[in-house]
Amino acid sequence: MSAALAGRDLARAVRRSARPAQRVAFLLGLPALLFLFVAFVAPLGALLSAAVENPEVRQVLPQTAAALAQWDGASTPDEPVFAALAADLKRANEDKTAALAGKRLNYEMPGMRSKMLSAARMAGGASAGPFREMFIAKDPAWGALETWQVIARTAKPYTLYYLLTALDLQQAPDGSISRVDAENAIFLSLLARTLWIAAMVTIGTVVLGFPCAYIITITPPAVGRIMLLLVLLPLWTSLLVRTTAWVVLLQTDGVINDILLWTGLTAHRLQLIFSRFGTVTAMVHIQLPFTILPIYSVMRGISPSQIRAARSLGAPALSAFWRVYAPQTLPGVVAGGLITFILSLGYYITPALVGGPADQMISNFISTYINRDLNWGLASALGVVLLAVTLAIYGAFLRIAGPDRMRFG
Amino acid sequence: MALNAPLLRAKGADDLVVFDGVQKSYDGHTLVVRDLNLAVKRGEFLTLLGPSGSGKTTTLMMLGGFERPTAGHILLDGKPVEALPPEKRDIGFVFQNYALFPHMSVAENVAFPLRYRGVRGAEARQRVAKALDMVRLGGFGGRRPTQLSGGQQQRVALARALVFQPKLVLMDEPLGALDKQLRERMQIEIKHLQQTLGITIVFVTHDQSEALTMSDRVAVFHDGILQQLASPRELYDEPANAFVAGFVGENNFVPCTAMRIGPHAHALLESGLSLVGTMPVALPNAAQAMLAIRPERIGLVASGAEGAVACNIAEAFFLGDHTRVDATVPAFGGMNVTIKLPPSTPVPPPGASAGLVLPEQHCRIIAP
Amino acid sequence: MLWLPSYATGPERLGRLAVLVFVALVLIFLIAPFFVVVPLSVSKEAFFTLPVKEYSWRWYQDFFGNERWIASVINSVIAAVATTILATMLGTAAALGLARPEFPYRRAVMSLMLSPMIVPIVIVAVGSYLFFGGLGLINTRPGLVLSHTALALPFVVVTVAATLSTYDTNLTRAGLSLGAPPVAVFFRVTLPAIAPGVISGAIFAFAVSFDEVVVALFLTSAERRTLPVQMFSGIRDQINPTIMAAATILLGLSIVLFIVATWLGRRGQKA
Repeated sequence: MSAALAGRDLARAVRRSARPAQRVAFLLGLPALLFLFVAFVAPLGALLSAAVENPEVRQVLPQTAAALAQWDGASTPDEPVFAALAADLKRANEDKTAALAGKRLNYEMPGMRSKMLSAARMAGGASAGPFREMFIAKDPAWGALETWQVIARTAKPYTLYYLLTALDLQQAPDGSISRVDAENAIFLSLLARTLWIAAMVTIGTVVLGFPCAYIITITPPAVGRIMLLLVLLPLWTSLLVRTTAWVVLLQTDGVINDILLWTGLTAHRLQLIFSRFGTVTAMVHIQLPFTILPIYSVMRGISPSQIRAARSLGAPALSAFWRVYAPQTLPGVVAGGLITFILSLGYYITPALVGGPADQMISNFISTYINRDLNWGLASALGVVLLAVTLAIYGAFLRIAGPDRMRFG
Repeated sequence: MALNAPLLRAKGADDLVVFDGVQKSYDGHTLVVRDLNLAVKRGEFLTLLGPSGSGKTTTLMMLGGFERPTAGHILLDGKPVEALPPEKRDIGFVFQNYALFPHMSVAENVAFPLRYRGVRGAEARQRVAKALDMVRLGGFGGRRPTQLSGGQQQRVALARALVFQPKLVLMDEPLGALDKQLRERMQIEIKHLQQTLGITIVFVTHDQSEALTMSDRVAVFHDGILQQLASPRELYDEPANAFVAGFVGENNFVPCTAMRIGPHAHALLESGLSLVGTMPVALPNAAQAMLAIRPERIGLVASGAEGAVACNIAEAFFLGDHTRVDATVPAFGGMNVTIKLPPSTPVPPPGASAGLVLPEQHCRIIAP
Repeated sequence: MLWLPSYATGPERLGRLAVLVFVALVLIFLIAPFFVVVPLSVSKEAFFTLPVKEYSWRWYQDFFGNERWIASVINSVIAAVATTILATMLGTAAALGLARPEFPYRRAVMSLMLSPMIVPIVIVAVGSYLFFGGLGLINTRPGLVLSHTALALPFVVVTVAATLSTYDTNLTRAGLSLGAPPVAVFFRVTLPAIAPGVISGAIFAFAVSFDEVVVALFLTSAERRTLPVQMFSGIRDQINPTIMAAATILLGLSIVLFIVATWLGRRGQKA
């Protein structure tokens, strides 16, 4: 008779005998995982690296970058660095790339773009040194330590500039980090606005959705099923179609204003479209099913005898509801609210079409920085901030509700 | 460990299945099946009986190939099968909820195993019809499983597991979902099928009366350990320990000390009373033990009768086929004893004194 | 009619009535947009005024007579079909694997699989643009399908996993015990049983791709424009009733997909 396995031997034997089944399960998931890595994780990685990549100055001023690598940073560089700069700028003048590096330098030191361009023109015509004096004579800024500190920093392969900017921070030429002036600080308030709009949408969907979910739960199945269809149908409808409808509804000469005038609630037409009210209304409409469904699925699992028991124990109707029923719905409310909050953070289409300039969210700024300013670094850095906030809340959701709570229909 | 069946390493020619030191754990620290040694004889109806969580279903799943033993070997026809996938074992399996394929007709369900054994066309149709006739469902082949009653579904599952003439059929609580009357009829039907076809069946249930009705031998499981392997009669009359005595049929238990004096086994009670009994499994002298007596083996006589143990009647219930009496026994430390009397026996009123007759051959002194 | 128990008191009835009216208003709010889009698409006027005074099919004629709209529909259909096939195969296999409790690091993998659903779409679009740019996949169909499949995958995984949670694993065991090899058991037993869930997942995948705007906006230029992108640029530039016709067509498609998915869902529950 073999002795019973125990302790570590047993654990090892169990692991061994479980391995073939684990392998089969994992192999089934593997294609999807590999696919996600290529089509989803790698793009997110590209975004992360675009937020810290710093290619412009290195590309345009390669010799200067190499020469500055040995520079001690304590005083204005010597002739060899200027000679390298002159050579780089001469090439840049021919290739017309000086503006590229100038634009990048301009982010960190306003005015550098024009200084680069005129220096490039000068270098294009110069054949022999000494270049140090030539540059300083052209513009005393070339003799300043700060200019070179910024050039040296922007010539490195990676930069924190975009991420700092996205958090309203700036780095002085000497490397110290500080808050930007109030008039230039826009990104933290943009983040706050995004969180605030998402919070309003979440509260709105819970306030509208909770009674809906409750009534759907307690009505006879035939009625409940129809109500549920009315909730599910918008979920299936294209977000763009629903947003389009809200554009029409909210127009100054649109249906809602017609109704308000007709009922006499207002004396003249209100500005509803391109407003915070319009944006939040449209977003609440779009998110409502996402909040209702998890609440409903939790409510459906609560036995009706809970309320009966509370009543038989002497609780009046309202207090039976609030003290016995409502607390049990909390998991659904939290799951539905968190889902809506997470999804609301990333809204782009609706604020773009229904919101005014003061209602644009982080996603809209990302799009603007790419399409209008071609500033991929800052757009990516804003993306990193948004991604970090979203993933943090997703992590909270997974911790509270678990991945299996994500269900539709 | 001493309670386990005798060593079963010998691969006797009449052993179809041998569990040899089989263990199973899912989590790596608790054993669901502990060191199982068990042989299933060719042609027998063996039942694995035990409460839920006792390891009986896990044992069946390992035999069917759906779970791998953590340690030990399972021999089928003398060959180890731990690494053999279920589809290559040629074992019929009847599941708890029948597991009929809902998208196939009854005939398609029954023909399913034939397809993978190269039996097709007319021969397959003929064998399907024969199998359905066998379970008295001839003519139901075109229906869907959902159109059948529970009992009919059960019989389709049976036909499907038998149609490919497996040498061994496993059944996992197949009658659990049926009502009492139907269940009793199916018990007899399955038993008859097993006898006429001469197949080996390993049957899992938690219902002791089902196990007693159908089995040639019953293996009682508790806490992952095989408690006793015996024929139904032996199990009932000579339980190896208190668990078996309590799980199979009803029993009265009195804690005692086992003593062997000369040819007789004695149960020494705390009150000083000593009762002569039998010891199905030899216990060492002065071992802590249980005195077990079946309610129907206890006689009720007038108070003070010769050799009777004094008691007080607490309550009596008339139950049709018998009368059940609860009595407190001072000599048992005031414990309650249940007695089953023939319905016609007169019963003294509650509070009255009486005497209990505890026949020597029915007083079992067993391990606690 | 108030769906209250018979012991309810007067104030309770009044309160319930108020709640019911509130819920009715919310439900009207939920479907209100449909009553705007559909009538405006058949209005003769070029302004968005309701109620409609004169009906006409002119905006639909505009839609179907315009090469740009038609091309965008074709682009959308091609991308959505390819996405559906890819996402359904990958997602069903993944759900089958994740349904097994022995899947290593199941919770973490599940969380990763679902994350395309919650990562802001603009981030996915920008990242895809940057990453696919290096691979030469910008403004190509494969690039768009790749991205859409990643977005659709979680919907397939969730839907199939939900169906699998009601699937009786004894069916698989029965198939094996009767001698069928695992692959045959999958195709002849498991797949027919979970088919409603798989088809629902496929419909979800189709809808995700067919409705998606932002990624398509970043990854495609004029000649590969999808229908939603065409609509989006239309709304941005000069909103006109042809867009209402397009929206109605999209809406009709959504309703058809929704009805099929609901019907399948109910069938899946019965089986």
